[in-house]
Amino acid sequence: MSELAEQLATALPSDAGSGPQWARALRDAGAEQFRQHGLPSRKDEAWKYTGLSALDRRQVQLAASSPAPAPAPASQASLPAPLVDEGYQVNMLDGQVALQLGDLPTGLTVLSLADALDQEIGGLQDLLESLPDMKGSTHGFTALNTAMLNPGMLIHVAAGTDAGRLLVTWAASCQDSPLLINTRVCLIMENGAKLELLEQFEGPYANASNIVVQADIGEYASLQHVRFQQEPEDTVLITRTEITQQSGSEYAHYGFDLGGGLVRHDLHTALRGSGAKSAINGAYLLDGNRHVDNQARVDHFAPGCFSEQYFRGVAGGSGRAVFNTAVVVHPGADESEARQSNANILLSARAEIDTKPELEIYADEVIASHGATVGQLDEQAVFYMRSRGLSEHEARQLLTTAFCRSVSDKLTDPVLSEHISQRMMDVMPEAG
Amino acid sequence: MLKIKNLHAKVAGNEILKGLNLELKAGEIHAIMGPNGAGKSTLGNILAGREGYEVTQGEVLFNGKDLLELEPEERACEGVFLAFQYPVEIPGVNNTYFLRAALNAQRKYRGEPELDSVGFLRLVREKLEILHIGDELLHRAVNEGFSGGEKKRNEIFQMAVLEPTLAILDETDSGLDIDALKTVAEGVNRLRSKDRGMIVVTHYQRLLDYIVPDKVHVLADGKLVATGGADLALKLEEQGYAWLEDGGIASLDAESAEQVLNP
Repeated sequence: MSELAEQLATALPSDAGSGPQWARALRDAGAEQFRQHGLPSRKDEAWKYTGLSALDRRQVQLAASSPAPAPAPASQASLPAPLVDEGYQVNMLDGQVALQLGDLPTGLTVLSLADALDQEIGGLQDLLESLPDMKGSTHGFTALNTAMLNPGMLIHVAAGTDAGRLLVTWAASCQDSPLLINTRVCLIMENGAKLELLEQFEGPYANASNIVVQADIGEYASLQHVRFQQEPEDTVLITRTEITQQSGSEYAHYGFDLGGGLVRHDLHTALRGSGAKSAINGAYLLDGNRHVDNQARVDHFAPGCFSEQYFRGVAGGSGRAVFNTAVVVHPGADESEARQSNANILLSARAEIDTKPELEIYADEVIASHGATVGQLDEQAVFYMRSRGLSEHEARQLLTTAFCRSVSDKLTDPVLSEHISQRMMDVMPEAG
Repeated sequence: MLKIKNLHAKVAGNEILKGLNLELKAGEIHAIMGPNGAGKSTLGNILAGREGYEVTQGEVLFNGKDLLELEPEERACEGVFLAFQYPVEIPGVNNTYFLRAALNAQRKYRGEPELDSVGFLRLVREKLEILHIGDELLHRAVNEGFSGGEKKRNEIFQMAVLEPTLAILDETDSGLDIDALKTVAEGVNRLRSKDRGMIVVTHYQRLLDYIVPDKVHVLADGKLVATGGADLALKLEEQGYAWLEDGGIASLDAESAEQVLNP
């Protein structure tokens, strides 16, 4: 076990904390797992390309799992300006609910996770206990997160209601905090519920966070999940998103990684009910020494489901992108359709992109396609644009943005799509 | 406007142009015809500044400036426009957005104020009307999924908006059916002006039924071997290019030779 993992294990709380008995049991199990296996290393296949030296450099310590006091007004100024104005807004500071703004839509409940545990909100126990597999060092961050279970929030959308947009901003309260923030988001969507969850990760202070998001999407419910990340270059952001989908439900994910130093996102959807649809889209743009690792997995457990994974990446400087997608169509999940597409552009000789699509099919009548490419910009197109008067820089910037824009164009809100496209254009890595 | 003197150029080590001379005045349309491999497209590409062409001798003056010293975008901003033989598809870049960015880059270069989207759309509507083309191409990505005819029409539309002083049409007629050809030719004719010079590069005579040039040049083996009036194109259509290899002008009948020598 690494020195860092030893330190973190030693710092784990000695008792299982407050709340219901089952929650204490979960924390105990997480702590036990973590003490035994620690953090992942490059020896774990899923972490082959992603080391944790950025965490070592930050010399992180565990943050207390008890709720922090409400942030002082001064620190509220450090919250990022929201990407869009529309929607109910929750500001998370150091992994805790700090501020809620706007009129709470009918059918939407937002609670701190600590309160939700105390109140034993219906469905919360099932959701928390459903988290698959914390075994081995591969899932060390999840085990640690579970050991520290308390900070975070619960989002509940009542059956048959459209809660509109919920904007969640994530930020750290001070510069160079040594804390490793462990926090959890639990989202319960009852049958026929509808929500757009827009998560915004954007400084201004560098931080280290280990976030687990769990969502259960009820029958014919629909979740649109936008995740926009533009953190400072020293930020370490480890996220695991676990989605369970019931019959006829729809999940659409749009991830945008424009910043961060070490970013790792494990996104897993389990299609449990027939006819569920899961569309996972993402774009990552990195230069400098940024490292972004996306792992997306879809499990088709039920028949007649549809899944799509669509990712576009651009790497310049000494940036490194890792992309691994897996689709598993389990026995009985007949007449499934699965599409995977990942295309990348390398802008510099020092940048690196490792992409691997995986497809396993154990069912009948399955339609599946997959493709992964790494290439350079189309020089014919660069010349064409220059011959019309655009400078070489403008031409390249426009081309790379267009490449990533194919992801933001999928957003249903044109205003949000335009904001994100503009942000991508602003951070577009330079060639060379 | 344009003076090409003794131009020699290589592509991948092979000499393609071997001493080409051409002078184009403002307001004129010149057609350059010739067999495959004569160097027709090479000329257009060299004028627009495409990489991979090595000029080994000669010079090109455009309004007194050394054109070959300029970057492709500087040439565009100075007023040079190449209508591509194979317009490039640019997925994800909206046609209108692209054209506005290009026009504003040119205006900035010339010290003119940039056009806002309202002003630009007004200009676009005006040009569409002049060219008699619909606005369906505006909302799509540049050339993506366009038919051959749509691509060529889009080139003419770009030309109308950018208002170059020198336009080079590189085999704009290739791959077009007769209706598309007429639309494109009409567009070119509407853009004829006393301040604008045009070079129409073509393999076939039929485009010249609709765009009547002031002069027709025959390019063979890297040089202009004959120059004549619009009728020369018809002669070529009738007799093919084979006579060039069989002794050039000397092999023509008296009438044709007269035509070539005294346009």
